[in-house]
Amino acid sequence: MKRIFIDPAKCDGCKSCTLACMASHQDMAPRQGSLTELRQAIYALDLTDPATQSRNRIVSDGEGGYRPLFCRHCDIPDCAGACMSGALQKNMETGLVEYNADKCAACYMCVMNCRYGVPAISPDRKRMVKCDFCQHLEEGPACVRACPKKAIEVREV
Amino acid sequence: MERFVIIGAGAAGITAAQVLREFREKDVITVISTDEQVHSRCMLHKYLGHQRDAQGINFVGADFFEKHNIYHLAGQSVSKIDTQAKTVAYGDGYSTPYDKLLIATGAGFFIPPIPHFREAPNVFGFRDLSDALKIDDAFAKGKRVFIVGSGLVGLDAASALCERGAEITIAEMAPRVMPLQTDDYAASVYQKVFEERGCRFLLGIGATDAVVDGEGNITEVILSTGEHVPCDFIIMAAGVRPRIQIALDSGITAERAIQVDDHLRTSAPDVFAAGDCTGLSGVWPDAMAQGKAAALNMAGVDEVYEKPYPFKNTSNFFGVTMLSVGRLDQTEGAEILVHKTPKEYKKAIIKDGKLTGYLSLGDISNSGLYLHLIKNGINVGGKEDRIFRLTFADFYGINEKNGEYVYTV
Amino acid sequence: MNSCTDCFSRNTCASADKPMEAYIRQLPRETAHHRVETQETKCGFGLQGVCCRLCANGPCRITPDAPRGICGANADTIVARNFLRAVAAGSGCYIHVVENTARQLKNTGLHKDKIRSEKALNHLAELFGVTGTDKYDLCVKVADAVLSDLYRPEYEPMELVEKLAYAPRVKRWKELGILPGGAKGEVFNNIVKTSTNLSSDPVEMMVSCLRLGISTGLYGLQLTNLLNDVVLGDPEIRMAPVGMNVIDPDYINILITGHQHSLFTYIQDRLLDEDVVAKAKAAGAKGFKLVGCTCVGQDLQLRGAHYTEIFDGHAGNNYISEAVLSCGAIDAVLSEFNCTLPGIEPICDELKIKQICLDVVAKKANAEYIPFHYETRQADGDRIIDAVIAAYTERRGKVPMNLFADHGNKNTLTGVSEGSLKAFLGGSWKPLIDLIVSGKIKGLAGVVGCSSVAYGHDTLTAELTKELIAKDILVLTAGCSSGGLENIGLMTPEAAELAGPNLKAVCKELGIPPVLNFGPCLAIGRLEIVATEIAGELGVDLPQLPLVLSAAQWLEEQALADGAFGLALGLPLHLGVPPFMTGSKLVTKVLTEDMVELTGGRVIIDPNGKSAANTLEAIIEEKRRALNI
Repeated sequence: MKRIFIDPAKCDGCKSCTLACMASHQDMAPRQGSLTELRQAIYALDLTDPATQSRNRIVSDGEGGYRPLFCRHCDIPDCAGACMSGALQKNMETGLVEYNADKCAACYMCVMNCRYGVPAISPDRKRMVKCDFCQHLEEGPACVRACPKKAIEVREV
Repeated sequence: MERFVIIGAGAAGITAAQVLREFREKDVITVISTDEQVHSRCMLHKYLGHQRDAQGINFVGADFFEKHNIYHLAGQSVSKIDTQAKTVAYGDGYSTPYDKLLIATGAGFFIPPIPHFREAPNVFGFRDLSDALKIDDAFAKGKRVFIVGSGLVGLDAASALCERGAEITIAEMAPRVMPLQTDDYAASVYQKVFEERGCRFLLGIGATDAVVDGEGNITEVILSTGEHVPCDFIIMAAGVRPRIQIALDSGITAERAIQVDDHLRTSAPDVFAAGDCTGLSGVWPDAMAQGKAAALNMAGVDEVYEKPYPFKNTSNFFGVTMLSVGRLDQTEGAEILVHKTPKEYKKAIIKDGKLTGYLSLGDISNSGLYLHLIKNGINVGGKEDRIFRLTFADFYGINEKNGEYVYTV
Repeated sequence: MNSCTDCFSRNTCASADKPMEAYIRQLPRETAHHRVETQETKCGFGLQGVCCRLCANGPCRITPDAPRGICGANADTIVARNFLRAVAAGSGCYIHVVENTARQLKNTGLHKDKIRSEKALNHLAELFGVTGTDKYDLCVKVADAVLSDLYRPEYEPMELVEKLAYAPRVKRWKELGILPGGAKGEVFNNIVKTSTNLSSDPVEMMVSCLRLGISTGLYGLQLTNLLNDVVLGDPEIRMAPVGMNVIDPDYINILITGHQHSLFTYIQDRLLDEDVVAKAKAAGAKGFKLVGCTCVGQDLQLRGAHYTEIFDGHAGNNYISEAVLSCGAIDAVLSEFNCTLPGIEPICDELKIKQICLDVVAKKANAEYIPFHYETRQADGDRIIDAVIAAYTERRGKVPMNLFADHGNKNTLTGVSEGSLKAFLGGSWKPLIDLIVSGKIKGLAGVVGCSSVAYGHDTLTAELTKELIAKDILVLTAGCSSGGLENIGLMTPEAAELAGPNLKAVCKELGIPPVLNFGPCLAIGRLEIVATEIAGELGVDLPQLPLVLSAAQWLEEQALADGAFGLALGLPLHLGVPPFMTGSKLVTKVLTEDMVELTGGRVIIDPNGKSAANTLEAIIEEKRRALNI
């Protein structure tokens, strides 16, 4: 499977990944993921709307460094192991922990169970929100391509 | 070729079946369930609220059994297990042999000994799809609902029915709603959202008696205050009891629950138990985890099941979301920290540098690590000033080999 | 073109000028075109304008989880503040230019120096209502009228505004309360407004942008041109060579960059003096030549009829300057303003090109600073000439030549101004108006402003222009857009073939290209004079004209100040990328929607040339319908 590897020492806290993630998941998100298109999508982001959510977070380590928090698509996912609707499933072929919003009952057991605190909830409280590896983008996760420091990269595990 | 039989098609039973199939491609797996179809009991309120049909609350695909080549004996109840001959008797005198058996019968609702309640035909539980079907029928005839208990099950039922125009009265013996998960403030928030939707709460009040009609149906509930509350039917949500009758009838050791060891083995050879019937925990993720652990042991993988941490839950009623982990009630000698804004309410209980309880009401995003901190007794000493803003960044570690995270404590 | 074995392996950005793109790609050194790739990731907060670093609590960035900065400023305040700051800075730049230009005119009068256009001088005197004892005195009076307005406090309205601007516009501006006070004071005051914890009123700040736009447009743009006409000569329509082919390696070549043509008045004449030419010959050259780049090159090209001997021609716009220097035949860079890219510095060092700066506001790190003083211009000029000759001697034969002699073309139509165009039409706008009314020319589009590279060098400008002319819309240019479009041949008469059938016929009949080059960005002011005169002849207000503006590849703060003038004039203004505003719904709405009610103008954001052209065409057609033509 592929996983986004993180080198926190390279992270500058610029949050380009965060905005790229938001842009990739908004309604008018580009279907191709060229940086130019993502940039256009960034112009359209409503950064005052709580519904503009990022699936990744960059947290300061308090000492001038940053610790990127990204879904690991764990080998044994806490979130899918807590899902009582079948909405979260580990895809054995791709290795990704996939989410089906139509199935989800918004019970948020996944939120509770993820030991890394990755899953978030939608402002309308009807969905959970987590990394989908930008499967709608041929080029792969938008965050990775947006990182100017190459602190995150997709690697085969 | 081995024959695996699983009794029960809930979280534990289905997970076990799935895991067994992963490990045993060719063996025979049979699931026997009283349920006609697989459903998530945590989503019954979606069915009762008419937001989803029965298939919509199926937590596996409709083709689950076919896809995994598993026999499903649906709508069949097991009467006895012959642990010597290694057979399971079910339905109208049928029997099936097993090499390894899993009891995953779950838990059933409990009716306290109040006069008429145990006999009345209009007293329902809210555990299974069959319960929901009965309530749906009853609701077609009368909209006055009396719910005993304001835990998650009681409120699930109330939330489903009040959206459909029910006139709901909820009696709670404790002084607040959801007493196990909330504190007074969080309870008051939930109480308010239900009251705004027409529900009436009777707190610190129990039902002591009832008035019945000629057919034994309860028409009025008599409260400990003496008040009579007219109703069309009653939903019991005052707690559950592990379903252990099969075990008892088959000579398998059980008292309040079926006794299991750390491999989820029962007292009988090759008989395992998982899920609510073991009494280890009553929440969905733990039932899944037990189903998986039992299946691994049945398949011959030596899997030690670590005792679950049962004090955890989330709730989401009308968009009011809450995460509640640990022991909020045990505050002696503990430091209690509270964060309260118009949109959020958070409470942390810290004892000897460790979190013992955590409550979050509002945006509960990213709060999963609090369960991990509490469950594992991870030291948070020195982090009290930002206890509500802890993230995994505070315990950051990366497994360089596979890129997964690891806790650094 | 020389081949290159150790080129920079990195990608360069696309250019509308394909030969230039190929030339730059093979250069053995880095240019802006290369750096586009390493700067590809843009900060999203910056793009949206919601990063604030006005105080030590910052930088604060607006997100859904953090809708306010630490001070409490929300997205609207932060965006409006950043925007006004940019407009004020941009205005300051143009006001600096007009101030120096007016001072130059005044000194010309005081020293009774050469006046190249008495016609232009008399026109201004008439416009301002000033008289003088002789033409020199008139120069002083005209210049003083301008300077005293610039130096007025912000709370005193400038006196020339009503004399310069179109009456219906002035009326509307009065209604809106946006008549500017002293132009320098306006800049000062608005910078104060945008400082830490001062104004938080986004609407007031957006209105202030309009006020700055008016002072910038009337003084910084229009007057700079008109004042320069007096000293430097009126533009005359002619054909000229453009592109890197203009560079003749047999001469000592000086690349000029900036916006203040009047600072070159002395030296461009001095370089032709016999004693100076003799010095050049002694060093082994045929003499001196100026090579144009950026807007000052455009201005020289515009007035090129007066400078055929010293001026080789315009090589290209701001983002060509690094390539031009790389050809090896440039011996010195004489700069006085932007857009003198810092990127030229390592190239000048490597190729031993002497850098001299005439104005401290554009002081390049490794340039020698020889401030322009009117009184010491002769001594300073000789110092400059000697330094340039020294550089020539030092470098020629030692640095590699990488000429690009077949770049560009030799028949670009230049010298178009409000005066020369009207003269070309027979002294009246009527022929043009008739063509518009008959529909042979559907409308006018000013494709103005800068050149940028982040999304391709001149690519959008070129695409949009081609689309517009194909729709029979006559394109008028001013600024670095001119430099880009002329190098790809759109200002040659042959470009008529690219125009729609009606416009093509007009071009062929008149022997003109479908894109008319007004020269530097300052000449946006000339373009607006044309619009005003046409509106006057038609008896309508500016927003009613079938006229649109596009600063498709706007680059800098000055462009935003220009844009604010366009909006104050009530014109639709297309921009290829948003001016860091989309983070504020309010600012975006004011600029793209509400502005129509205020002035008649509005901002249109569209990165796509085709769809932008469609939008602009629709606006033109709508205005035609409203005028019943």
